[in-house]
Amino acid sequence: MISNRLFIRLLAFAALVAVIAAIFWSQNPAFLSGGNIRALMRHMSVQGLAALGLTFVIVVRHFDLSFPGVASMGAMTLGWLIASGAPFPAAIAGALAVGLVFGLVNGIAVARFGLPDIVTTIATGGLAVGFSYFYSNGTSISQNFFMSGILDLNDKRIIGLDMPFAILMAAAGVAAVVLHASRVGAGMYATGQNRVSARFAGIATRRLIVLAFALCGTMACLAITLLVASSGAANVTAGGQLLMPAFAAVYLGAALFGRPSVGATLAGTLMMSTMLNGFTLLAIPYYYSDAIVSTVLIAAIAIFDPRLSGLLNFRKAAA
Amino acid sequence: MTSGTRTVLDMRGIEKRFGDVKALGHVDFDLDAGEIHALLGVNGAGKSTLIKILSGVYVKSGGTIAVGGVQHELGTPRAAIEAGIATVQQHPELVGDLTGAENIFLGHEGARPGLFGRIDRADIARRAEALLQRFPIQIDLSRRVADMPAVDREIVAILHALRLENTRILILDEPTSTLTEREKASLFSMMRMLRKAGIAIIYITHRLEEVYEIADRFTVFRGGQKVACHTVAEARGKAISIPVLMLGAGGGLTFPPRTGRSDGAVVLEAEGLSADGFANVSLTARKGEILGIFGLVGSGVDELSKALFGAIPSSGALRLEGRDVRFRSPAEALRAGIFLVPGDRRAEGLTLDENVIFNTVAANMSRASLGGLMRFGANRRAARELAQMVDLQPMRLDRDLRGFSGGNQQKVVIARGLYRQAKCYIFVEPTVGVDIGARSRIYALMREISKDAAVIVMSSDCDEVHGVADRTLALYKGRPIEGAADRDQLLHAGIMGGVAA
Amino acid sequence: MSALTADIPQRRRGADFLMRYAFFILVAVVFVAFAILRPTFVTPGNIHGMLMSASIAGLMFLGLTWLIAAGEIDVSFMSVAALANMVTAALVQDGQGWALASLGGLGAGVAFGLVNASLVAGLRLPALVITIATGALAASIAAAIGLGTSIALNNTGFVGQVLGLRVGVLPLIAVIVAGLYAVSWFVQERLTFGHYIYAMEQNRAAVVEAGVPVNRMLFMLFVLSGVVSSLAGVLLAANLSSGQPYLGTSYFLDGLTAVLLGGMALKLGKPNVLGTLAATIFLIGLLNGAALLGWTDSQRQIVRGSLLLVGVGLVVFARSRRKT
Repeated sequence: MISNRLFIRLLAFAALVAVIAAIFWSQNPAFLSGGNIRALMRHMSVQGLAALGLTFVIVVRHFDLSFPGVASMGAMTLGWLIASGAPFPAAIAGALAVGLVFGLVNGIAVARFGLPDIVTTIATGGLAVGFSYFYSNGTSISQNFFMSGILDLNDKRIIGLDMPFAILMAAAGVAAVVLHASRVGAGMYATGQNRVSARFAGIATRRLIVLAFALCGTMACLAITLLVASSGAANVTAGGQLLMPAFAAVYLGAALFGRPSVGATLAGTLMMSTMLNGFTLLAIPYYYSDAIVSTVLIAAIAIFDPRLSGLLNFRKAAA
Repeated sequence: MTSGTRTVLDMRGIEKRFGDVKALGHVDFDLDAGEIHALLGVNGAGKSTLIKILSGVYVKSGGTIAVGGVQHELGTPRAAIEAGIATVQQHPELVGDLTGAENIFLGHEGARPGLFGRIDRADIARRAEALLQRFPIQIDLSRRVADMPAVDREIVAILHALRLENTRILILDEPTSTLTEREKASLFSMMRMLRKAGIAIIYITHRLEEVYEIADRFTVFRGGQKVACHTVAEARGKAISIPVLMLGAGGGLTFPPRTGRSDGAVVLEAEGLSADGFANVSLTARKGEILGIFGLVGSGVDELSKALFGAIPSSGALRLEGRDVRFRSPAEALRAGIFLVPGDRRAEGLTLDENVIFNTVAANMSRASLGGLMRFGANRRAARELAQMVDLQPMRLDRDLRGFSGGNQQKVVIARGLYRQAKCYIFVEPTVGVDIGARSRIYALMREISKDAAVIVMSSDCDEVHGVADRTLALYKGRPIEGAADRDQLLHAGIMGGVAA
Repeated sequence: MSALTADIPQRRRGADFLMRYAFFILVAVVFVAFAILRPTFVTPGNIHGMLMSASIAGLMFLGLTWLIAAGEIDVSFMSVAALANMVTAALVQDGQGWALASLGGLGAGVAFGLVNASLVAGLRLPALVITIATGALAASIAAAIGLGTSIALNNTGFVGQVLGLRVGVLPLIAVIVAGLYAVSWFVQERLTFGHYIYAMEQNRAAVVEAGVPVNRMLFMLFVLSGVVSSLAGVLLAANLSSGQPYLGTSYFLDGLTAVLLGGMALKLGKPNVLGTLAATIFLIGLLNGAALLGWTDSQRQIVRGSLLLVGVGLVVFARSRRKT
């Protein structure tokens, strides 16, 4: 019965994506061309990684609003390290470390010191933005990028997939195992639903919350690394464009599939990216993208809200 | 008090159906002015359905309701309040930072109602004074509710229900569940005072001894039907057994036979254990027997259980199988082999939005996983086996815990403990909110568990402790009292703090 | 025992008094320090500028204060201000008069206030995610109006004239905002509305059960937030002689900081209008003084972030003390 319900949800999701794709395709047949689908997958990669990280935090029933700022700082750290001649694996490690450190700070502030998550992460995000200006006084960094090999992260292909998408798939695979097939994930769901009972079951709730924030920060920096690799420069506002799509993907996915999960987040990301890609193809300017994402997000939350869908079912039953 | 003289409520042929399910079938119920009427029944017997109809939460499917001789439909909470029926929930909603008086008159602060009325604090104080004159009771209503003891909060909630002049019927839903014995006494004195003022009180409780203490009449529900209505005097005179009425023929609690052994290996030993809430408790739990600890709410039992489980810090000596131990967290206690079945299973024991398998294995992730990965197949098999053992009803492993009754939720907590394979099990209030049918099964399970492990049962139900345990101890105001030889002595020890001569 | 329990509130009352007014002492100390280090800080021109900025910011944060006090959140207020700012600027540039342009800007803000109110108060959807989304929508429309860049204005119309008016030495707008805050304080402290805001934060179910139309109150609060934010946006169009699509970002941290830090003043961790006003003046003065001392944008950004963290930490500390 459970799997039956899941099947119906999957079917509904596939139908929704098909309808959206069909609409774009009818407006511009290039939408379903190989080149565009590859572009779509690239776009998904950056957004998907950030959204996956956020998924962990949402599962433990917290919020993280710092990851865009943290990602900006990660981008500038990456750029600065490359510009100053560090080998690119070390530069990436540096960027990820920024995400990790901020994630740990958020997690400890929230889990250990009981600070409210929303305002605290807004503050740490603000701090991260401040720090990201230090490297170059706010100008973008692109020296040495060509030589360092970081661009390969964007250009290389692996087993027939573009590198960014391969990284997303690998990260999603790992995230799925962690969240859905490991004791860590089980502990996170238990923590999110009932903190006290999880603690009484011997689950290290605080540590798991810290871990969730750490993963969120780190994955946001991984996402920004791919973005920097594709644009060939690091700048201080890079992370800003991660916030909306990540929240939209997680909430859209959770709305579609009943609760936050890796699969739900990927589905949400696929849907957001399909739409954004389609609108880009129709030559709609960049500054509309947030408007599209936010409208979809509001609609998704409203339509899939259990009380509202319950109302719809009720009407159906009455009719 | 002769019944029928001043009937304030008369419900005739009340029915309630949910789809095809009949929750209440053709029930008559009446209430006299100035009486305390206890409403009894196991969970699902129909008493809360009746109350919800009366307070306007449910719309009745059939029947008539007359309040003070006038017919009422009572389709909404507002209609019920206007008819003079006020309900005090089991956990009344109060605002901690406001004073008692401000809570009582919340929503009616100004001379005129509305969002932009001027608050007249002097007037609120005057009205609170007037209310206390109508219902004289000792309480300082100018204190912040957050600073009040539980009983004062209960009284504030009752005064809130009575603030309207026309309130004639007061419904109290298990008001004593969080009160200490002394607080209960002052609540009861308030109820008697209200009775004198002519208020009719419907009193819902699971504690049968309270019926004899406070009620004038009682009505018993079973399976959606009213099965009996007697005055307490009648019940005393004819020696009517309320448990039999509640459960039908052959009812009554059955405790599993004791083993009579007390020579098992010592598992857990506490010496001079103290924490916030109790002091200097020494106890020994042996394999093969059940140690019972009787203590009322507020006596320190809850704190004692949490201290033994590492959930709150404590001082003193604790030995597990002869070795000194100190638990800094529940995780450490679990690892060492202690398992707690907490008193508030919904808040502390379960993950209600996860299924039976998840909840069964949650406290032993090391066993449920291999190299960090969950063993799905093995966990399902183990959960099924344990669910069969605890007799889970219905046997639906994929159903979320929210969909089970209180008794079956408790069985899942026990299954979780069994999966943990602990050396010492601590049960706190194991049968609160559990209907009598499931209780016997839970007692039998405790006895089975005690064959391989030490079991400690802590409860505010003296009969439960006395019935299930091999050895007993009472806790009174955080102080241990030993030496009670029988049930009455144990009760005396827990309520008065000494063993009767 | 009784002596002990009587003693604790006494001591606590002393500490409470200190906490209530410590913030004002801090403001005084910091401002005096700036005045000594950089005498230009207290020149009439600088004070006038600071009062102007503080008035507009204070206007913007008024609705937010009560929303947070009621246990809700609105992270769209600064984007709504940016949208109102851009709508006004675009209409002026288009040749419409300032009157119509201001109404247009206000209308946009009211519309967003209504959307937030309907979704959060009406449909009971989660406030944070909804206002993230509506904020992004407003910011996106603001950017789209200017095709991604700002709009320069060559006249500031009657709004500019109003901003230029003075009452004695004070800018008229500062007097008006001060008056607005005084009225708000009365509503918050003396009328049932304020009483219910704080009760709602603690136990919404209790307030609902008491028959208070809580959803209507929330609806009003979100609309209020939209109105005051857009009003600030319109004033900024004249104050900056331009429409700035991205002006929201700098107000975001400041707004939350002002509300939380201000909550420490007077009401021990509960956001309140006078606290917000004081904290707004403090923040504007601090950033202004820091600029005079030659601090860079990033340093000031870090000060903002740190102050917000301090504010949150203090609120949590004060609440945990009060609970025991």
